[in-house]
Amino acid sequence: MLKQTAFGTLVLAALGLHAGDTVKIALTGPYSGGSAPMGTSTRDGSKLAIAEINAAGGIQVGAKRMKIEIIERDDEAKNERGALIAQELAAMGDLSGVIGTVNTGVCMAGDKHLQEQGITKIICPAAGSASMTQWANKPDKPGVKENSIFRFAAYDGIQAAMVVEEAINRKFKKVAVVFDSTNYGVSGRDDMLDQIKKQGNKLEVVAQEKFNIGDKDMTAQLLRAKSVGAEAILIWAIGPELAAVSNGAAKIGMKSSLIGGWTLSMSNYIDNAGKNGNGTLMPQTFIEEPITPKAKAFIDGFHKAYKVDRMPSAVAAAQGYDAVYIFAAAVKQAGSTDTHKIKEALEDLKEPVKGVIATWNHPYTKWDPADVATHEAFRREQVVMGMVQDGRVVFGNESDKARLIKEATGLTPAKAKTKAKAKTK
Amino acid sequence: MNASIIGQMAVSGALMGLVYALIAYGFQLTYATSKSINFGQGELVMVSAFFSLTLTNLGLPYWAMIPGGLLFGALMGLVVERAGVRLALEQRSEGWILLTIIIGLFFFSAAENIWGRDDRPFPTPISADPIRVLGVDITRLEISVAVGVLGIMGLIELFKRRTLLGKAFEAVSADRDAAELMGISATRTVMLSYGLSGAVAALAGILVSPITTVGPTMASALILKAFSVAVVAGLDSGFGVVLIGMFLGALESLSSFYLGSGWREAPGLVLLILALAVRPTGVFGKAVIRKV
Repeated sequence: MLKQTAFGTLVLAALGLHAGDTVKIALTGPYSGGSAPMGTSTRDGSKLAIAEINAAGGIQVGAKRMKIEIIERDDEAKNERGALIAQELAAMGDLSGVIGTVNTGVCMAGDKHLQEQGITKIICPAAGSASMTQWANKPDKPGVKENSIFRFAAYDGIQAAMVVEEAINRKFKKVAVVFDSTNYGVSGRDDMLDQIKKQGNKLEVVAQEKFNIGDKDMTAQLLRAKSVGAEAILIWAIGPELAAVSNGAAKIGMKSSLIGGWTLSMSNYIDNAGKNGNGTLMPQTFIEEPITPKAKAFIDGFHKAYKVDRMPSAVAAAQGYDAVYIFAAAVKQAGSTDTHKIKEALEDLKEPVKGVIATWNHPYTKWDPADVATHEAFRREQVVMGMVQDGRVVFGNESDKARLIKEATGLTPAKAKTKAKAKTK
Repeated sequence: MNASIIGQMAVSGALMGLVYALIAYGFQLTYATSKSINFGQGELVMVSAFFSLTLTNLGLPYWAMIPGGLLFGALMGLVVERAGVRLALEQRSEGWILLTIIIGLFFFSAAENIWGRDDRPFPTPISADPIRVLGVDITRLEISVAVGVLGIMGLIELFKRRTLLGKAFEAVSADRDAAELMGISATRTVMLSYGLSGAVAALAGILVSPITTVGPTMASALILKAFSVAVVAGLDSGFGVVLIGMFLGALESLSSFYLGSGWREAPGLVLLILALAVRPTGVFGKAVIRKV
């Protein structure tokens, strides 16, 4: 796939097509190093969408149909690389937009160069809250008037709300809040405690436990949580330490469920926790289950194109895929490859965009420095609860699955099933 | 707090402490013959664990993988001896300190490039399900650590006492010059001690990996504690490292329970400072009279 696209680009170049005949999109992210599973999945999802669009003749831009040309840059999850890449992209002149970036630090270091030039960027798939709030009003200084940075990710606020909601729905009363000592972990704890208050204090926080990056032995924290009768562990941390918590809980015979941020779906949690990870719940934007024809086509397409049987990060892949279709819709509506016009179109997308995660109806609105949500595509209803089961992430709640099937086909799952059966006959 | 929690913390801490003891024992082996220590011992633990993981991934069964891993560790120990220690010792310089650190850094970079930076699970046929003994949950995995550590230390001690080669080892430890006059090759004996030390490091890696996962940084925490154990116990008492290792492990886990996980390392470090101040030869060490 990668080679094909690269080859395609070469052929285009060889034919002497000048820059004006393609829509140039830059894909950036960490394609090597520790965050690579998310970075490469996003890139591969985006490339799949771009290949589909190009195979269908390209995007209708005004009177012409234009193919998408990819510019690919690996930021290695390093802030300084991110800044250099952003400067390079900002100086290109004929770039239509940027899709990508996993790490918040990279956004903080690089996005200002794009924003200064008004280059449209869709941050995808992750990045903590700070990557957007840096443009918003702050107590000591007003935010930017015009913002060309958009985000396409289930931000931490939504996730924390869902984690708390899930614990309440599962009838837990006493919970332990567990987090790592990084910025990510501590702000996650704050979000969760905040949500517990907002959702009516139905959960009693019996323990708050902290650990450091690199800790392998969580026995002390877990024993304390167990001794005060915690029924569930609400957790905010990253892969390897999350696995140490699951393994430690199994060791001391603690049966409490683990519920936490979407990092619980990363392969370095799932693989390291093994069977002790079963039952762990986390918010997901996409589950690798072919429940709708659109999802099936996407999953099969991805597996075939990249010769894998499990996406390194299904969430990242699906978000990369949908982000391209949203961007393409904006290009079409703008009728131009000019990044400023595309930004305006993005802020007011008239036609719904059919994606693999959802049908995106007017995902963004005019930027308001008082409300970051104007440039956030995700709302609560596009996020579902995922659950780890035997090394894969499946739907945590059947109701989510049923809802998605219904939204996609207008049928209830039972009917969809009989229909599918009829087809196979 | 009730007694069963204290028991639980102390027991799981002490079992982890045995791993510190095993790594500390690796220090002792080379110190005995050459008065030198491999400061890259932690990296030896790590590369051997990665190598054993590769053997497992190639389809080798667990029990066949262990000798392979140990052999690899021994070979790496010999590499350290040849590249970092022998010349420095011949020149009677302290160059081995820096050289062993550098070789360790080299192993670290090599591991990052060959196996990547991620932490990976280490498969084992030994079950991690807890068994309840006197109100304390112990996993078979933890028991395997205890058996492995005490087993290999017992074997090496037997070898030192019962075989001719082992006696040579002891002779060089006691007096290098006198042993050489008796026709024992000190160089060979030092090689032997580095080989054994490497094998011990490899076993430590194989035993601890299923519990902690394998990654390039896996040994950085272990090595500091092993060093504390070696210093507190004294650099020539195998029995001492076992006791101090278990004590330090239990102390750590109790302090992380009572003082908070951030204070986990603190008591061990206080112990290290105290030992250096009060008994520099170690609690179980022999005071050496230095003739001037």
